[in-house]
This record gives sequence, C-alpha cells and structure tokens, in this order.
Amino acid sequence: MKEGNAISRRKFMIMTGLACAAVVSSSSIGSLLKPAVAEGAKKPEKENINDVLKKFFGDRKIEMSHVKLKTPIIAENGAVVPVTIISDLPMEKDNYVKKIYIFVDENYHPFTASAELSPANGKAALALRIKMRKTSNVRAILETNTGKLYGAQKAVKVTIGGCGG
Amino acid sequence: MPKGIGKIKIRVPRKIKKGDVIPVKALITHPMETGFRKDKKTKKRIPAYYINDVNVYYGDELISRMEWTIAVSANPFMTFYLKADKAAPLKIVWKDIKGGKYEKTIQINPQ
Repeated sequence: MKEGNAISRRKFMIMTGLACAAVVSSSSIGSLLKPAVAEGAKKPEKENINDVLKKFFGDRKIEMSHVKLKTPIIAENGAVVPVTIISDLPMEKDNYVKKIYIFVDENYHPFTASAELSPANGKAALALRIKMRKTSNVRAILETNTGKLYGAQKAVKVTIGGCGG
Repeated sequence: MPKGIGKIKIRVPRKIKKGDVIPVKALITHPMETGFRKDKKTKKRIPAYYINDVNVYYGDELISRMEWTIAVSANPFMTFYLKADKAAPLKIVWKDIKGGKYEKTIQINPQ
C-alpha cells in the first residue's frame, strides 16, 4: 500500500514535471515564433516626420503663421479625428494657396492627405476626418503658388488608436 | 462594386448668391482599409483598399485635386469651399486603388 502510494506519487511528480516542461517548451516555441510571424506579416516601418518633411519641401522654411488648425484636444477614437484647416491667405488669380498638406507625426506614414486648390475655391480651407495611431502632433502645411510655405501644428491626445493591429 | 461602397452625399447651402464662397460637404461610403488590420475570425490580413484620388470639377474646369492615403478615416467626409460665380454643374469624382470610380454631379445655381 505504502509502495503503491510512493509510486503514484513518483508518477505524479514525473507527470507534473513533463507537464511543466511541455508548458515551458511550448511557450518558448511561442515566443520564438512570434517575431517570425510579425516579420512575415510585414510590420510597417515608421517613417520619421523630419525625413518626410524634407522629402516634400526640401530645406525650404515653413512659416508658422496665417494657418489655423482646428482639432480636438483629446480624440476618444483615433479612427475618426476631425481636422479643419482654415487660412486667411488670399485666393486671387495670381496669389493663391496651391496646396494643403496634412501630416500626422506618429503614424507609420506621416503623410495623410493633400489637396490642390485653385482660385475658384475662393477660400483656402479644408476639413477632413483622419486616422491617428496614437497621441501625436498634427501638422498642416500650405504652399502658395509663389512657393512660400505656411504651417501650423497641434498635439492631439488619442485614447484608442485607429490603424487596427 | 461591393455592397455599401460608393454611396455619395453632397451638400451645399440652399440659397446661394452669385459670388458667394460656399462650403461644399461631401461624404462617400468606403471602408478605407489600411492593410494593417486583421480579420478576427480568419486571422488573415485584410488587404489595403482605399481612395487615393479625388477630383472636383466646376463646369469644365478642374478646380481641386486631392490625394488621400490610408490615414483618411473610413467613409471619408470632407468640406471644401467653392466660389459660386456661375451656374454650372459641380462634379466630384473619387477613385480607389482597385480601379473603382465613384462620381456625383450637382447643379450650382447662384441667384
């Protein structure tokens, strides 16, 4: 009876040992597999905002005036962040805002949208709903037909990211 | 065309005076998939599917052209302005990366 008990206990110990080993090995396999899976699924590489701005505008100076950027201070849902850009720059025949750009610093691809305008728009303004991955700066940059750049930026707090994952 | 994609609403003020700068609001239903999202059931990645090109015509003239990326929200809603100085149709054309083309024309009749 005693012996039988001991054996069962020994068996039990072996069993638990095996189980533990199994758990450990499976978890180690899991941890080994995880990065491989992520790589296979092409995790996007984050572009640096400064590099992107350089690519778009070179070394041209961006004047932080004449542009009003309206965003919520806290966006509850990063998938829908309303952004409004209004400028008091003139929209006349020879002097108008040619293009409006929107950038989000912390998105994988900071360039969000651009709009080419013409004097027929009458007003240099645009409103759009954009996605934000996480808390970040939003930048609006306006380019005039003479090549001058005007900009504004604002920080937006995001509580739920909006790029899926 | 997949179901529920490409429904368009365009809204302009009811009364327009000649020469007024009016807001034009336009909404289109589109999933704007980023390509980063996974299907919760099949665990497969949903391929990117988004509108990347928007053109606005007033009469025969192309007055605005927009370039969008995946970071524009699903069912994109935009507001832009238009100087209503002539009675002419306003046409907005959206194009997505799978070749879908959605357009709607409304008549601008300033008084």
